[in-house]
Amino acid sequence: MGTLLDVPQSVLIIEDDVRIRRIVAMALRSEGLDVQEAGSGEEGLERLGERRFDVILLDLMLPGVDGFEVCRRIRRTSDTPVIMVTARADSHDVVAGLEAGADDYVTKPFVAKELSARIRALVRRSRGTGLRQRITVGDIEIAPEEGTVTRGGEAVELTRTEFKLLTELALESGRVLSREELLERVWGYDYFGDSRLVDVHVRRLRKKVEADPSNPTVVTTVRGMGYRIPA
Amino acid sequence: MSSTVRPPGAPPAAVSAPVAPPPGGGAPVPARAARAAARPARGAHRVRRRLRGLRPHTLRGRATFAFTAVMLALTTVLVTGVWVTVSQYLLVQRERATLVQTTANAAQVERGLAGGVAPAQLLSQLARETGSTSLLLYGGEWSTTSLRIGRDDLPAELRERVVDGGPARQRITADGSTMLAVGVPLPQPGTAYFEIYSLEELDSTYRVLGIVLTAAALTVVPVSVLAGWWVTRPALRPLDRLAGAAAAIADGALATRIDPRGDPSLEPLATSFNRTADTLEERLRSDARFAADVSHELRTPLTTMVNAAALVDGYRDALPPDGRESLDLLRSEVEAFERLVADLLEISRADAGSTDVALEEVCLADLVRASLARRNLAATSPADLDVAPAAEDLRVRIDKRRLERVIANLMDNADKHGDGLVRVSVDRLREHARVVVDDAGPGIPVQERSRVFERFARGSGSIRVSSEGSGLGLSLVQRHLQLMHGEVAVEDSPQGGARFVVRLLVVEAD
Repeated sequence: MGTLLDVPQSVLIIEDDVRIRRIVAMALRSEGLDVQEAGSGEEGLERLGERRFDVILLDLMLPGVDGFEVCRRIRRTSDTPVIMVTARADSHDVVAGLEAGADDYVTKPFVAKELSARIRALVRRSRGTGLRQRITVGDIEIAPEEGTVTRGGEAVELTRTEFKLLTELALESGRVLSREELLERVWGYDYFGDSRLVDVHVRRLRKKVEADPSNPTVVTTVRGMGYRIPA
Repeated sequence: MSSTVRPPGAPPAAVSAPVAPPPGGGAPVPARAARAAARPARGAHRVRRRLRGLRPHTLRGRATFAFTAVMLALTTVLVTGVWVTVSQYLLVQRERATLVQTTANAAQVERGLAGGVAPAQLLSQLARETGSTSLLLYGGEWSTTSLRIGRDDLPAELRERVVDGGPARQRITADGSTMLAVGVPLPQPGTAYFEIYSLEELDSTYRVLGIVLTAAALTVVPVSVLAGWWVTRPALRPLDRLAGAAAAIADGALATRIDPRGDPSLEPLATSFNRTADTLEERLRSDARFAADVSHELRTPLTTMVNAAALVDGYRDALPPDGRESLDLLRSEVEAFERLVADLLEISRADAGSTDVALEEVCLADLVRASLARRNLAATSPADLDVAPAAEDLRVRIDKRRLERVIANLMDNADKHGDGLVRVSVDRLREHARVVVDDAGPGIPVQERSRVFERFARGSGSIRVSSEGSGLGLSLVQRHLQLMHGEVAVEDSPQGGARFVVRLLVVEAD
């Protein structure tokens, strides 16, 4: 872990408003991050084809190809964490963005310091858990070190956040984890993280690991309490 | 013969005079009612004035009250009428009977005297009703059939009048009770026959009649209250619904409309009410939308400003002192502006009827603990949390983000306007979980307590106590709580400061 902090994390900002893009890029650079800028969705996707980034900062309100579409296209080829930038925390944009594949979100007006803390939290935890041992849940096998999941021997493509979520639940199988606990362990939030993050990610995870996502047996909901992987 | 002592058409009050008051005390109702009836206008005025204080506040209560009053007035008139008619009739009957007997006996006395029978013997032979006494004045001598009633019981005026040749009658008091004296002159000079009748029976008839009528009048009040309450219910149902809908709109449920189905009388009212509500809702929504749009548009430039100021702050060591001071001013203003925009957006969205309330069940003590921990991180003096043992596991159904704002705003208010947060406590009062926030300030005067929740309300007078805070914080507290079926109130803290109390319904464990 020690060496990770020495390598500047790379961030791609996809934002059409030049003023915000410039100032956020400058502020993040002053926080020690390696920042690239893209002024449109198309330009952003082009950049992503050229090189890897550790985190993508994506504005949802883009002219042309909008943020949701950009997010879906990124997800087709990559598991790079996406933080979306939205104007309203309480709008349906948040849920729509999360469903399109975003890992987290920030609302305007945000402060670059907080944003860089979120970026670091996402990057840090996406580098594996350091566990060597494999975990099996029914016909699902998790290899924490490699960051891979197989179901009935077939590989399941999970984003890093989905993978982390599944691992946290599997490590404590039989126990109910509240949304607050999951927000803290998976996203690095304190008590007041948005529990929709958990709900949407559980939904996404179920689509990939459950035989019947509308009748889940791997990740079950415990009403009023949280989620659990039955022992 | 009809030249009685009592002039005809005397007020009924005189009639009731011999009647003993009904058991239970007080003057008999008919008499009082009769007096009131004699001066209807003034009496009604006085009664109305006296009753104004007792007037019920609900429409139905007032209708019932009016119904009862009308019923009572009608009953009073009826009872008085019955009393006057019956008592007059009984008295006339009695007077006629006594006159007939007296005249017959006088004729017999006259014949006896002519036949030379001694007065005493004559009187004893007369046919009299029980309880009546005969007196005879003959040759200057008085004879009587009773040991207890004699000449002195007859008023001098009556005696003279009869002796002078005019028959007369008068109500007298003899032997401790009211009696009727009837006198008839006889042909011989200085000779007259008197008979004194007991009115005892008539009195007792009056008494019974009085009791019956009073009881009837008194029964009318409770019966008509019940009847009025029952009868007005269906009649006032449309108004009830109208009042309910208007109250709901006043409470912020702008989408409330009246469905006139099944009630034709409500239809025109409902139509115009609904049209008014539509207009009101549309206007409020467009106002709120405008405010939301404005503050939304401000968020993007704010992001630039906040980050630019923060970035410049990184080079503050390179700035001259004036530049540093300017930077601090800029940052604090931008921060205040940011809070104002956030609060404005929040409140206008609530006004615009945004219904994205995400209710979930959480442990209240944990939420308050986390809020306080967050506040204590930045505050100069940490405040204590006091959770009652019974409140440790209380669960409430709330929107976490909103309740966090509520608690944060209350703590913020205590810090900025109440000389600092002193204590936050969580406890339970019956079915409510309570969060109590105490500050160290001077408290809030009773007359200003409802005003503190108004938008941009400032401390007493027009002096702006502090430049911090958006002026929307407490108003937002109230809005957020409304959306979560909770409420907030201001009280005095036992330590002298202001105390804000948040109440939320407890979710009982299964």
